[in-house]
Amino acid sequence: MKLFRTACLGLVLGSLLVLAACETKVSSPVIRLQRQVNYGDAKGVELVTNEFGSGDLQQIAEKMVGSLLETGIFQGRPTVTISTVKNKTSEYIDTTNVMNSIQTQLVKSGKVRFTRSIQEMQAGTDELQRQTQSGLYKQGTQAKVGQMTAAKFSLEGELTSIVKQSSGTKDVFYKFTLKMFDVQEGTIEWQEEKEIRKTSKR
Amino acid sequence: MKSIFLHVAPNLIALALLFGSSANAAEPAADATAPAIAAKLVLRGLPNGVKVSEMRLTRKNDVLVVQADLQNVTKKDLVAYHRFLWLDASGNQVGDGESWKQTSIYGDQIATIKSVAPSSAVVDLRLEMNVEKK
Repeated sequence: MKLFRTACLGLVLGSLLVLAACETKVSSPVIRLQRQVNYGDAKGVELVTNEFGSGDLQQIAEKMVGSLLETGIFQGRPTVTISTVKNKTSEYIDTTNVMNSIQTQLVKSGKVRFTRSIQEMQAGTDELQRQTQSGLYKQGTQAKVGQMTAAKFSLEGELTSIVKQSSGTKDVFYKFTLKMFDVQEGTIEWQEEKEIRKTSKR
Repeated sequence: MKSIFLHVAPNLIALALLFGSSANAAEPAADATAPAIAAKLVLRGLPNGVKVSEMRLTRKNDVLVVQADLQNVTKKDLVAYHRFLWLDASGNQVGDGESWKQTSIYGDQIATIKSVAPSSAVVDLRLEMNVEKK
């Protein structure tokens, strides 16, 4: 009888230990190579390779926008334009994408107004000429020439990288630097950088 | 001697488990986040050795700025995934949500994470987080 009681107690304890070991783990929001195709989390941490990726772009944009909004430099909704963004890395990276993300978030914040960049100017002047010179539009509905608002500030950025590689490890260090100049005075009114280290092992 | 051990050992284990569980009920776990901060925390799964030891909220130039200290209470290096969700006065999410960030926290280290709200409409936040062992 005693032996039976002991065995039962042991069985109960064993079951408890098994249950404790069977704890379900949650997944991490990462994107890794898989054979099947699925819609993934666009905001997930992308770890497919250690080249410049979507997560890096998003982190850079968030840091720059956060820093700009925090400083309060946009008191009175000033006008800003985007100048050059240099890619000084060895990779092909569309830096326009980074600036587009920054611009989108800043516009959505409602704290700043953007004017056309140099790249966007041609389309703007084409439309202006069409309205003023084609003779197709009613008087009073046409946009007037010479009424564009000039930018008070200009954003200039650059992306650099340092790559170190050994037989089993590759280390990439990215640094994105963004400066905001006062166009009239030529002074730097704000500057921020974002550093990203990515290491992969074979 | 062997039979005595067979009889006594399970009872001792049961007692140890009983006292162990009552001790746990009285004292919070080392990686348990304080209730005031836990109200802002959306933890996915178990804390796995990381607790949010402090969360500081300030309003700078009309936008909410948050800093949170992620404390690794273990000796092992851990990896935390986190992001802030920004909420307006109605409790609705503002913007598309931040991207997930991966932060390595060394053993016994406190890593500070920071973020700035995307607009002035933000009045509250949630820190979404999960921790995986390295």
